[in-house]
Amino acid sequence: MTRTGTGSTFVLRLYMGLFFAYMFLPLGVMVAAGVNDYSPPSITVWQGFTLRWFTEFWTDARMWSGLVNSLIIAVAVMALALPMGLSGALLLSQLGRRSAGIVYTVMVSPLLTPGLIIGISTVILWRNFGTTAGLFTAILAQSAFIASYAMLMFMARLQRQDHTLEEAALDLGATRARAFRRITLPFLKPTIVTAAVIAFLQSFENYNTTIFSIGGNHTLVTEIGARMRFGISPMINAIGILFILVTVICAVLWSLLRQRERRREAAA
Amino acid sequence: MTRLFRAFGTPLSALILLFSGIWIFGLIAAPQLIMIEQSLWRMERPTGAAEISVQIDGLYNQLDVLALDRATVEAETDAAKRAADLAAIDAKEAGLKVDIAALEETESTPVKVYTLANFGQMGTAHLAIFAKTIAASLAVSAIALVVCYPIAYAVAKLETPRTASVIMLGLVIPYAINELLRIFAWQMILNQNGPVNLLLGLFGFDPVPFLESGTGVFVAMVYAYILFMVFPLYNVLETLDSNQVEAARDLGASTWNIHRRVVIPHARPGIAVGCIMTFMLSAGSYAVPYIMTRGTASPWFTQLIYNRFFEATNWNVGAAYALSLLVVCTLFIFGMMRILKVNLKDIAK
Repeated sequence: MTRTGTGSTFVLRLYMGLFFAYMFLPLGVMVAAGVNDYSPPSITVWQGFTLRWFTEFWTDARMWSGLVNSLIIAVAVMALALPMGLSGALLLSQLGRRSAGIVYTVMVSPLLTPGLIIGISTVILWRNFGTTAGLFTAILAQSAFIASYAMLMFMARLQRQDHTLEEAALDLGATRARAFRRITLPFLKPTIVTAAVIAFLQSFENYNTTIFSIGGNHTLVTEIGARMRFGISPMINAIGILFILVTVICAVLWSLLRQRERRREAAA
Repeated sequence: MTRLFRAFGTPLSALILLFSGIWIFGLIAAPQLIMIEQSLWRMERPTGAAEISVQIDGLYNQLDVLALDRATVEAETDAAKRAADLAAIDAKEAGLKVDIAALEETESTPVKVYTLANFGQMGTAHLAIFAKTIAASLAVSAIALVVCYPIAYAVAKLETPRTASVIMLGLVIPYAINELLRIFAWQMILNQNGPVNLLLGLFGFDPVPFLESGTGVFVAMVYAYILFMVFPLYNVLETLDSNQVEAARDLGASTWNIHRRVVIPHARPGIAVGCIMTFMLSAGSYAVPYIMTRGTASPWFTQLIYNRFFEATNWNVGAAYALSLLVVCTLFIFGMMRILKVNLKDIAK
């Protein structure tokens, strides 16, 4: 597809190659330092290949308690943000133009607010009720913006819904609640799964909102952040390698799933 | 509202309203409002504190006078009279002490006063940091736009769909890798004895203190948030009909004019989203300055906010600082929407 002459195509290709190098070389540096038998993490002093930083991570109690906290928060956020996002989308689908516009603006506003503001304002609110910052405030702060993602996903799905099935169910004497449970909910199921996965990942990986709302407690990611500041042990790089591996696997799986879905849609 | 009940029935509608209500009022509106309220007051000495303090001084003087009286009374020889006088002085002294305690209580109990003084606390030093943070964030946004536009255009319009999807997967991976790890990679690269300084050393340069000078913060910030520009741009450019570009070319438009008149106008929503995301993430970033400076370079505005809350524990000033940041981000969003003539529906998709 050389619409612009070969010369400019070459320049663009070169540019893109440089951009990819810019994106991946730093990650390569971090991975290399994670298997270098030298501390503090470095690639300028090479002492040979080792996996001992992984075992160091294995025995680090604070990292494990952080992981447990991260999982607790992520599950709670899923349980809170999904019903809120779905309710929001359903509410919007039944509002008049003007009120829908206002409610929509409020519902997406957390996505356009810096994460730290959401975190700290939640802490301020709950301190007035005598609750100090901790897992609870972190869950609420994260849910506030993760529900917005869920709402947008549900809204997109609901707009594609064919209402004839629902009407048929109602004509046949089903109650509203029953029609929702048997028709709309199954229709939304794929989105519920995707939204749940996204909510979990967003919560687990979050730093900015969490660091401002978790008080004296910590999650895996905030603990990693605290250790990074002084770059003392390559254990951080070892954890980084694990994160990268999981990310790559998820990204490849996601793109395979999407391809399959597209093929199925094309076939249908 | 009646439409909602008609569409879903009473029990389900009640649930929908409950969850939406918790979200809108409990998680979004209430925290923001209470933060605004917190930024508008502070605890002050009560009004008239100076007069009360004069009164208290007066009462202490009377106590001193009583102490002198007591000395005279103690010289009295008549035992009965002495005892009576002493009792009278004791009673007076006790009364005075009660009065003093009450006045001191009022004088030292601060009262809540609504004021704009919390914003004034910023002073020139912090205002300079605020300005620097905003300027640097604008620069991150601008750099990201300039760097990413050709990439997004090339992938969306010049590659076959197959190649494009592979390239996008290649970009999703660094995008999805945790922000902290991407920042940390640059901390290692720009470190005193990192690869960049090693390379500079080979050419005979002295090590450059990237981390200590604050350069590192900017470099890592561009790297950490640049991909938030690529995806919105790619998404809008993908929907651009290639025939429009062809037609413009056939009519003799130069490459520059094609972009200026056809491609960029079409890409407006993507440009708006990309700029808003990169600006907001940069201005609100705590991780990048936290990891990249090790506390040696001058702080980012977010670090000032963090310190007000968790180290200096002046929550009112902290709330004022946080609100200032929020206002700037909101103004930026409205500014972009105005300049690029897009609305909120185009942005949040």
